[in-house]
Amino acid sequence: MTIATATMTSKQRMLAALDGRLPDRLPVTTHHLMPYFLDKYMNGITDQAFFDYFDMDAYVWTVPHRHDPSQGEYPDPEQGEIGFLESRRVSTDDWRVYWEKLPGYEYQTVRYRFVTPKGTLSMVIQSNEHTAWVAEYLIKNKRDIDLLGEYMTAPKCDVEAVNRTAEEFGERGLVRGHICCFDVFGQPGCWQDAACLMKVEDLIYATYDDPEWVHELLKILQRRKMIYIQSLQGARFDIHELGGGSASSTVISPKIFEKFVAPYDKELIAAAHHAGQRITYHTCGGMMPLLELIADMGPDAMETFTPPGMGADVNLAEAKRRIGDRVCMIGGFDQFHYLIDCAPEDTRAEVRRCFEEAGANGRYILSPSDHFFDADPELIRAFADEARRCSYR
Amino acid sequence: MTDLEDLRQSIIEGDMKSTTSLVESALADGLEPGTILNDGMIAAMTEVGRRFEEGEYFVPEMLIAARAMQAGLKILKPKLVDSGTKPLGTVAIGTVKGDLHDIGKSLVAMMLEGAGFEIMDLGVDVPPEKFVEAIRGGAQVIAMSALLTTTMPNMRATVEAVKQAGLRDQSVIVIGGAPVTQAYANEIGADAYAPDASAAVRVTRSLIS
Repeated sequence: MTIATATMTSKQRMLAALDGRLPDRLPVTTHHLMPYFLDKYMNGITDQAFFDYFDMDAYVWTVPHRHDPSQGEYPDPEQGEIGFLESRRVSTDDWRVYWEKLPGYEYQTVRYRFVTPKGTLSMVIQSNEHTAWVAEYLIKNKRDIDLLGEYMTAPKCDVEAVNRTAEEFGERGLVRGHICCFDVFGQPGCWQDAACLMKVEDLIYATYDDPEWVHELLKILQRRKMIYIQSLQGARFDIHELGGGSASSTVISPKIFEKFVAPYDKELIAAAHHAGQRITYHTCGGMMPLLELIADMGPDAMETFTPPGMGADVNLAEAKRRIGDRVCMIGGFDQFHYLIDCAPEDTRAEVRRCFEEAGANGRYILSPSDHFFDADPELIRAFADEARRCSYR
Repeated sequence: MTDLEDLRQSIIEGDMKSTTSLVESALADGLEPGTILNDGMIAAMTEVGRRFEEGEYFVPEMLIAARAMQAGLKILKPKLVDSGTKPLGTVAIGTVKGDLHDIGKSLVAMMLEGAGFEIMDLGVDVPPEKFVEAIRGGAQVIAMSALLTTTMPNMRATVEAVKQAGLRDQSVIVIGGAPVTQAYANEIGADAYAPDASAAVRVTRSLIS
């Protein structure tokens, strides 16, 4: 099969898929590019050089935060250089974040202290070359959330910075952000952010033992995200990520999703639409029992549609049948088995499977199901090349 | 007289308070600890596992059922020891070196305990030598979990360490976790792969018997 002549730019192509119009061909992109992968397999090239090298439809991630001096806010003077996926933290005299590296651990270990007039909260984050994780959760007592509710700052979007990025990026692809997460470690969705502040098992138990407290926590986190979303008016983002990993059906139940996830994130999506923004709802893990519940929240797109071969449950064709006329689907490609240790023909066949199962009538962007750490560049080339052959003309 | 059906229901519904009081009343009524365990608690957890496999239950329902079962077991355990009731076997469980994701591991541990196994929970980020020590300490089953492709090779390293220690014949090795497959279990020489907590109980039970 030959590569059809492109009649759309990458940006036009992906926006067509997001907005339910027919692209010229199957849009093909990826999720976050991990620094580990770029360093190990691509000689440390940049994200944009990666997209150029493989001729894929690009995105640029940007989440610039702004402080509001009229509210006594200032950029966190302790933060230092902004790391991978980090944004500038916002401090006030009543919400100061201090950190120290703890010696003697096998992994890089940092304790963060959140100092408020009524007490100090703390959490410990560890990281290695692949990822970061919470080693000590912030919520140690139920009433710790009072300090969050009273003093935690809410970042606003630096609209001018976003628009400068959009101007520079032009037609190369999408300008992508995410809804703000907790200051030092979090996720965009309200429930998912809460699951970074306390162990998810304990959060699940709390939904049975003290549901009102869980709602109280979720409202505090939602209020902060809402302030950020309301500040997005005029920002030329193409898409924002909401959701995260802890609300999949491999972690929670549809009942919990209905009671503790959907009510909060649905309101965020409506607010984002009101601010002229699109939302993709990210779920890594099981999705099939939740498909309609997620689509009912009204996102413009859903991801990651992780297949059973990667430990989740998505039947792409069935997902397309159930929600494919309501949202753009992003993902579905099995990168564990078809971006490493296979023949290029196998990679191409997996691309064709995804296109055949989810590509009909557009509303589909091919992407690995979430990020990856290890992948063979030659197979990525086959992945992108085969996608460019999947034409709608 | 305590009805074990009530006990089963209280565990299936995850009612911790009712479970503890029903175990207490069953003991007070003179029921054999082994009967309470087998016909009440293990039967309930078997039903929980069935509902999970049928898609009727999800992880939260399993968690609260397992929590209720553990609360009951805390009361029952000393009586089981006194009555000489033996566990089905001892399972050493942990996430492999480099992997810190423990919800799956913890759920499997609780479900195995609910099925009548003794659990040695080694925690997260467990190096191969700790699994080897666990076998030397009496574990007949090694259960390993990994959520990341980057940590999966430490499952192979653990299987190799067990072999090198000359303990492979004395242990059953079960693996699981999101990126893990039956093919990978075959490739590294594990005895079984379990795609979820309920399956972990089923395969461990079959391998031990």
